[in-house]
Amino acid sequence: MSAPVSKLREPLIMGSKTYHQITEDLVGPTEKAPNSAWIIAFILAVTFLSFGLFCIAWTIYVGIGSWDLNRTIGWGWDITNFVWWVGIGHAGTLISAILLLFRQKWRTGVNRAAEAMTIFAVMCAGLFPLIHMGRLWLAIFIFPYPNTRGPLWVNFNSPLLWDVFAISTYFTVSVLFWYTGLVPDFATVRDRAKGIRKNIYNALSFGWTGKAKHWQRWESLSLLLAGIATPLVLSVHTIVSFDFATSIIPGWHTTIFPPYFVAGAIFSGFAMVLTLMLIARKILGLEDYITVNHIESMNKVILLTGNIVGVAYLTELFISWYSQYTYEQFAFFNRATGVYWWSYFGMMTCNVLSPQIFWVKKYRRSVFVTFIMSIFINIGMWFERFVIIATTLARDYLPSSWSYYKPTWVEIGIYLGTFGLFFTCFLLFTRVAPVVAVAEVKSILKTSGDQYIGPDAKHGHEKAGTAAH
Amino acid sequence: MHQFIFTGRQKSVLLGFMVLGLLCMGLTWAVDDPFHTRFWTNLLHNTVFFTGIAFIALFVYSAWMTAYAGWHTVVKRIFEGFSLYMVVGLVLMLIIAGGTWFHYHHLYHWAAEGIADPTSDHYDRILAGKSSFLNKSWYTFGSVGFLAVWTFFAFRIRSMSIAEDNAGTADYAHHQKLKRIVAIFLPIAAFTSAAAIWQWVMSIDAHWYSTMFAWYATASWFIAMMSLTILTVIFLKGKGYLEEVTGEHLHDLGKWLFAISIFWTYLWFSQFMLIWYANVGEETVYFQIRRDDYPVLFYGNLIINFVLPFLILMRNSTKRKYGTLVFMSVLLLFGHWVDFFLMIKPGALHTALEAMEHMGTAVGDAAAAHDHGHALAGDHGGHGAHHAIPPGFKMPGLLEIGTFLGFLASFLYFSLNQFTKASLISKNDPYLAESLHHHT
Repeated sequence: MSAPVSKLREPLIMGSKTYHQITEDLVGPTEKAPNSAWIIAFILAVTFLSFGLFCIAWTIYVGIGSWDLNRTIGWGWDITNFVWWVGIGHAGTLISAILLLFRQKWRTGVNRAAEAMTIFAVMCAGLFPLIHMGRLWLAIFIFPYPNTRGPLWVNFNSPLLWDVFAISTYFTVSVLFWYTGLVPDFATVRDRAKGIRKNIYNALSFGWTGKAKHWQRWESLSLLLAGIATPLVLSVHTIVSFDFATSIIPGWHTTIFPPYFVAGAIFSGFAMVLTLMLIARKILGLEDYITVNHIESMNKVILLTGNIVGVAYLTELFISWYSQYTYEQFAFFNRATGVYWWSYFGMMTCNVLSPQIFWVKKYRRSVFVTFIMSIFINIGMWFERFVIIATTLARDYLPSSWSYYKPTWVEIGIYLGTFGLFFTCFLLFTRVAPVVAVAEVKSILKTSGDQYIGPDAKHGHEKAGTAAH
Repeated sequence: MHQFIFTGRQKSVLLGFMVLGLLCMGLTWAVDDPFHTRFWTNLLHNTVFFTGIAFIALFVYSAWMTAYAGWHTVVKRIFEGFSLYMVVGLVLMLIIAGGTWFHYHHLYHWAAEGIADPTSDHYDRILAGKSSFLNKSWYTFGSVGFLAVWTFFAFRIRSMSIAEDNAGTADYAHHQKLKRIVAIFLPIAAFTSAAAIWQWVMSIDAHWYSTMFAWYATASWFIAMMSLTILTVIFLKGKGYLEEVTGEHLHDLGKWLFAISIFWTYLWFSQFMLIWYANVGEETVYFQIRRDDYPVLFYGNLIINFVLPFLILMRNSTKRKYGTLVFMSVLLLFGHWVDFFLMIKPGALHTALEAMEHMGTAVGDAAAAHDHGHALAGDHGGHGAHHAIPPGFKMPGLLEIGTFLGFLASFLYFSLNQFTKASLISKNDPYLAESLHHHT
């Protein structure tokens, strides 16, 4: 007998699936030729990627002067995009690690794709600080190694260096986590494959045979990695926030930054997961595995993190006044009413006001509303970083150096290029690996399949919850 | 056994401790400085601490219900019992807020007469700028208004939960209604608690500010509440109640204790590190005073509240054994009480000493205050000088411990009394079966 499940819990797998059907549905797409939607999307993604590569090459050839950075605005779209992409990269690990520790079964429907998205987003993010160096070939200098440079070392006091460690560690652990989850699924793919394909997947699955011992080790490795990844989720964006908050720039130096950046990252990460999964679920026909219930759960996380971010915005705003520190007060006054007022307005509207719509169950469960909202939040969170960076730098302590910044075509091109990179990787991923974690979905079938729980349950499960004892 | 019986012996023990607390408070008043700073800081400290525990119990209860948690159903009555203590907090905060009007105390620099009046001796430009928030009316409204709203929710939720016991239906109508109430409570609580903490605690260091402060203090409450929950559960189990609560539930409660201790450390570190790193005098002064003048508490705070739970609660088995759980819970409850001690005492002492000196120099006939202020301030008194720290401020003295025990006893008396009013294990909760069969 499996554990009782409350009647209030909705099924997470629809369509009375058997184990075999789950394999068919989820592994199937990797075995067929791609459909035309995939091909068109792939061509588009590669086009964007190529243009991005061209713009990167242009930046390196012409120099960083091809951007519109100036004396006070040393960080523009590049670091905005960097923080934005890193933030998006948070949802995957949150879903796979923290929700695993919280025993949230709905994570199984989306964790695989979210983790993949994390890895690709961190790749996109990592590009920007590198290009921002201008002389890319000197990137080696960010690594502190015993060297022939004599006493020349990286600045260990700088949060920018901590970022190098934080993000590379995060990337490594995310890849390990993702790959660990893929091993049993690769074995499933292998078992159905023939010829060279079989050999490739056999190598990828490390000779997984599904022995009890394999599962046991796999389970403990997953838990261990979850334990390691959980502080990592917090650390990455915490350190990104340190890039700003350790300074004495008004509007940047505020102690709430670490947790508020993390909440914002999860917020934007979930929005991006929704954007991607709503499309993927439609194109790959995964409606039975990524149900409206999944979407509703993610929308609740969005509502929660959106409100945390909202509390943080208002805290910042209030404390800037409360501090009675003129420069701090001006920084926030300037954000709301200065030259970049529209980006502050965009941030507040998209991040704080619009998610309130998810108080209404009907909208939480509407695929259409969710999709629009996920785009809104992606935009809002981009604006948040732009507000923090550009608005602040455009109005520094010295009014004579106040300036205005707008990106050049090169900067825009590189940003579009990262979309190309992101989607190219994601589309390739949908071709080579099951987009939904097959083994993990199977593990929750007995407790969350619609033939076992919910209104259409056929198997006579006990009437959980009413049990008087 | 689902019906808790509050025995006469338990009552008299708790009443005994309450009397002890009252005695300690009376004694504190008697040995105090003319402003009775020690008495008032102790009252504020314990009121904020225990009211906060009650508040966070309701907040966590609401959050878990909203998140479909389920597993905690067998201990949810504990949270309900705790949350109602806010009624007591309301009365106590009313006294403290009243004190700002009638000059019972000098806890808050901003409450001084004429602080916003440029012609006054007390004029302080920065506090004048803040005076549209830091003033008696807002403080009273914030303390009483917010607490009244929270208390309203606590009673509403409690009565709905008991109604579910008595008249629960198969469609879980009570639960659905309850879910709506707690969902409304959550954002209200999130916004108002920050403002309450600013007023009650952060404004003691009236010039200082930190955006993190409200979340930091809330995390501290959270850990104290979890410690007290674990202790209460183990106490009740020892008396033969809560048989349904197994090692699995304790394990999960222990995980929470571990997790939020780490989270608290994260907030502590972020706040400290950013202020230390930027090295802006207006901000660093907060930590400088605490590090230099209160080193035992400053470092002890980190050892008790981070190092020990990190090392001890890391292992699986320590979260399932009564011995280690009780040890850690007692330590963390006390540790976070000390954390609030450290948030409140240094700033309040500073304010009181300055006020005493000021009164001494400004008004000739307040000779007693004058002498006392200078005696406390040491030989080199005056603004900015290091003051000698009187007893009850540098470290919690016996009177503080006694007051703490008195408050704790009143909190437990109140909660245990609530437990007698309904079954300890709720009935008809939709997650009851899950919770009864909970397996981590």
